Amino acid sequence: MMTHIEKPFSDEESLSSLNVFVRKWFAGRFAELTPPQQYTFKLITDKVNTLVTAPTGSGKTLSGFLSIISKLFDYSLSGRLEDKVYCIYVSPLRALNNDVHRNLMTPLDEIYQMITKEKGLDMLKSNIKQVTIGVRTGDTTQQERRKQLLKPPNILVTTPESLAIMINSEKFVENLKGVEYFIIDEIHELANNKRGVHLSLSVMRLQEIAGHEITKIGLGATLYPLDEAARFLVGYKDGKEADCTIVDASWSKRLEIKTISPVADMVYTSDDIVEDETYKLINEIITKSKSTLIFTNTRSGTERVVFNLKRRFQYGDEDVAAHHGSLSRESRLDVEEMLKKGKLKCAVSSTSLELGVDIGAIENVIQLGSPKSVTRAIQRIGRSGHSFKSIAKGEIIVLNRDDLVECAIMMDSVLKKHLDSFVVPKNALDVLAQHIIGMSLTKKWNIDEAYALVRSVYAYHDLEKSDFMSLINYLAGNYVSLESRRVYGKIWYDEKEQAFGKRGMLAKVIYMLNLGTIPDEVAINVYGPGKKWIGNIEEEFLTKLKQGDIFALGGKLYQFEHSRGMTCYVTDAKSSTPTIPPWFSEQLPLSFELAEQIGEFRETFSGMLKKYIKSNKLKLLSNTGKMPKEVDEYLSTLPVDENSKKALFGYFMEQLLFAKEVPTNKLMLIEVTSEPSSELNFVVFHSLFGRRINDALSRVLAVELAEITDNDIGIMVNDNGFVLTSEEDISISERTIKDMVSDITTIGLSEMLKKNIRKTELMKRKFRQVAARSFMILRNYKGYKIPVGRQQVSAQMLLKAAEDVDINFPVIKETYREILNETMDLPRAEAILSGLTSGAIKFKIIKTQSPSPFSHNMLTFGSADVIMMRERHKHLQSLHRMVMERIGEK
Amino acid sequence: MMLTNDVELLEGMRIAFIKSLNSIVASDFHLGYEGAMTKSGVFVPKVNLSKIIESLSAAISTTGANRLIIVGDLKHDFSDIETDEFNELHDLMAFLKQKKVAPVLIKGNHDNFVERYSEPFKLLVCGKEADIGNYLFFHGDELPEIPSNRPTMLVMGQEHPAISITNRVGKREKLRCFLYGEYKKLPLLVLPAMGYFSTGTDVNTRNKQQLLSPIFKRTNIDRMHAIAVGYGSTIDFGEVSKLRGL
Repeated sequence: MMTHIEKPFSDEESLSSLNVFVRKWFAGRFAELTPPQQYTFKLITDKVNTLVTAPTGSGKTLSGFLSIISKLFDYSLSGRLEDKVYCIYVSPLRALNNDVHRNLMTPLDEIYQMITKEKGLDMLKSNIKQVTIGVRTGDTTQQERRKQLLKPPNILVTTPESLAIMINSEKFVENLKGVEYFIIDEIHELANNKRGVHLSLSVMRLQEIAGHEITKIGLGATLYPLDEAARFLVGYKDGKEADCTIVDASWSKRLEIKTISPVADMVYTSDDIVEDETYKLINEIITKSKSTLIFTNTRSGTERVVFNLKRRFQYGDEDVAAHHGSLSRESRLDVEEMLKKGKLKCAVSSTSLELGVDIGAIENVIQLGSPKSVTRAIQRIGRSGHSFKSIAKGEIIVLNRDDLVECAIMMDSVLKKHLDSFVVPKNALDVLAQHIIGMSLTKKWNIDEAYALVRSVYAYHDLEKSDFMSLINYLAGNYVSLESRRVYGKIWYDEKEQAFGKRGMLAKVIYMLNLGTIPDEVAINVYGPGKKWIGNIEEEFLTKLKQGDIFALGGKLYQFEHSRGMTCYVTDAKSSTPTIPPWFSEQLPLSFELAEQIGEFRETFSGMLKKYIKSNKLKLLSNTGKMPKEVDEYLSTLPVDENSKKALFGYFMEQLLFAKEVPTNKLMLIEVTSEPSSELNFVVFHSLFGRRINDALSRVLAVELAEITDNDIGIMVNDNGFVLTSEEDISISERTIKDMVSDITTIGLSEMLKKNIRKTELMKRKFRQVAARSFMILRNYKGYKIPVGRQQVSAQMLLKAAEDVDINFPVIKETYREILNETMDLPRAEAILSGLTSGAIKFKIIKTQSPSPFSHNMLTFGSADVIMMRERHKHLQSLHRMVMERIGEK
Repeated sequence: MMLTNDVELLEGMRIAFIKSLNSIVASDFHLGYEGAMTKSGVFVPKVNLSKIIESLSAAISTTGANRLIIVGDLKHDFSDIETDEFNELHDLMAFLKQKKVAPVLIKGNHDNFVERYSEPFKLLVCGKEADIGNYLFFHGDELPEIPSNRPTMLVMGQEHPAISITNRVGKREKLRCFLYGEYKKLPLLVLPAMGYFSTGTDVNTRNKQQLLSPIFKRTNIDRMHAIAVGYGSTIDFGEVSKLRGL
């Protein structure tokens, strides 16, 4: 059962639950208990499963650890502290592990010294030992590992992957059998993905190995819904939801935030000026703050910002630095160290500094472009103002008009505490395959016993027995003939006995070398004339290129010539217009909740503006023209600056004047249009539901449209809608749309999607990742690393072959599940379709001579980055000019 | 479709039929592929052989052929004959025997050590090339020696030809194909690969230098016709040169 605790314990009660030395140490160090500590000291002392959500700088780590340290000193003082692990701490980041290790060393040392001082010679007599802590990650040396095996630390700090190795190592696991506490930190970074699912299986397996209940503690910064996270943490006990107490101290920090538009007119101001203004703004903030942290959404964006700040304002390496995943570990550590010491004026990061690595006191956070979710926005802005009493300050600088609408509403939602929700991936078969192999290594299992253990994990509570058995059969190699099973089989399975276990000597080595859920990345090397290396592109982007295509890389344009394996050859582009949009798979999709909020804003705001359409329209649009008072007042309720207000007003007025309608979440505008400059015709679906849903909807509607028109249909998708393109004229009526929707509903969205994605690159890429996670493709075999390129080539064949064996092959089934539920959002897409059928969501078809303002960003491929692509911007201007001419003509 | 009066490309199959020889001709089976992959850590389920048998069976029953000429690369692994290869070789030969079809293999670069099975399997193994009824068969990894009697047609494999087509909205598709043209003024037919996993080299996007067979350094692949096979039919797509940049 989940219990939400509302009332904190008194400080007296909290502190008296602690060991006297620990209490003394705490009193000497801190003046008071932070909000989360007012709950956790008592709860964890009482061994209650606890989920804590609290912002950075709120003493969260200590809130989880202090009661445990206290208990361990209790043991020590009574001479009962043994050389074994009592507490395991897992975080998703090695850097965070090192931080926690360092930060706990001090209290452990200081408390021990206090005890030594008081007890003197009694120490030896009473066998009072120091409470120890150790880190074990992929970076830990062999020598250290051996030491840990002989003398294990009392508190073990580790990662999900290292934990998985430890619980399958027959020697080391002995040291873990006495574990009493399990802490998962940054739980919001784990609960929503396969890595976390892998971890939660490890926790339950560890509990089974230990043979007793382990107290589970989850720590997270921003998290919603809390009950889901708690269930993820504790799982099931004897078939019933295990108990967990939820501590919500997430709003104990004050926020000061603003959305800023660098200019009032975001369409016609020249690129140079927009760029100048943006950097001027950034520099103002940097100058007036002690330290600033800038988030961009991509790695290339990060590089670009650092380069510009240095060039424009003569900052040196000691003032401004980049921090992202492609940089070496050393240079990232350097940056973190410099930030902590307060030496760096400004750090620029893509996502890597979002998590709780200790970076000291940051005064200000700047976010460039939408971070796409309220939770992420809070997480990032929360990096400023280090103590829980200080104010977190953040500015969002927007990149275009859709970005502006999105950010304005997002900041409003941040203040109103409308968090977006996460979902724990359910029944992931690839992760389970790994664990079944792991389980087979440690002992002989009865099928039902193993199935019951798996079902005690929240993510697998609803797992069908048939799915479990199809995995057992796959892993046993039952899909090949008997004589080949020797090589194909990964576990031993006896059907009569209903038991499985280890197969062969190699099994363990293969398991240890290949476990983990993070897929290998494929970087395609791009070479220019004379074999000059230019940079990397993503594999998925390469598959879209054909000879002669022009694309941007590192701010320059190149023409694609040909590719060979993992290399791609280009020449300098002769034309100045890219023929293919840039590709950012790093780009995050907009959360559904936020999309809904934006939809509501669009409805309210456009409702207010409708009466002004008739009055003196163009004057209203010009920048000198004054905004009606009512409008100004309404926009002033949002956390936006003056430029943003003008831009918002202008954007909505243009759309209303041009198309008479503003699409909302209850009104889907379907715009049939074309562009004189290209030969293509467009149907723009203004469906404001986020990319995960639009991805699903666009594919099936394209299939329907292709059938009706007997033409190939192209698709462009972004968060605000999607565009179907065709070389032929497209005519659709309300009837057509209704028929299309009813057809899709009859066949079933999931069925249609499966058929449609079968031959896509997305399917191939995901299949490779799932096949690698399921050990169907080994990344590392007999000591050889198999290059991703090889894995990729093989994956295509594998997919083909597996399908021929059995269309419900577990590896294929999982690939579809992941695409439909994680890349896309099938349940919500289905809800939208039924909304269209029932009329809860209305739709309206409009025909325009040229695309309406709200479709412009969609038609320019919707992928805004900090690198403004100049050509793109020009294209947008020409679209806009057409619109303004039309409005003027009326 | 009929290529000449005597040579037919069986509709929708990667197999040619030569009437005067009462023989079907196919290439690049790559038996044992899955076993080789599995040994390198990629666990490919076995489907290659069963698909090949399915296809041969259909070809035999429509044509009534009593001979199968394999233009090289019957097996996959270069080094030796692996257990998997042996098993599959055995099953294929048993199938042919039952259908009363005599197998002839022109050795390809993958077919090392295959001679040791020619006796038990009644598999006729020819060295680098064979002139059968005035048709010259060779694998293609080396240039053929043209006999003085000027053969009616040259038939080879090795290249695994395919074409890739991208439509205007950006979808790309690869189709396996026959290539038909001339070498030293003699008709030249290149067969697509039978192997289930050999999806092919797209000859219309690839540089000529990247092609495998030395024969394409002596003859212009751009002038050859690509005859695509797929979806149950066989269609001439015209000269390769016209398919470039599509």
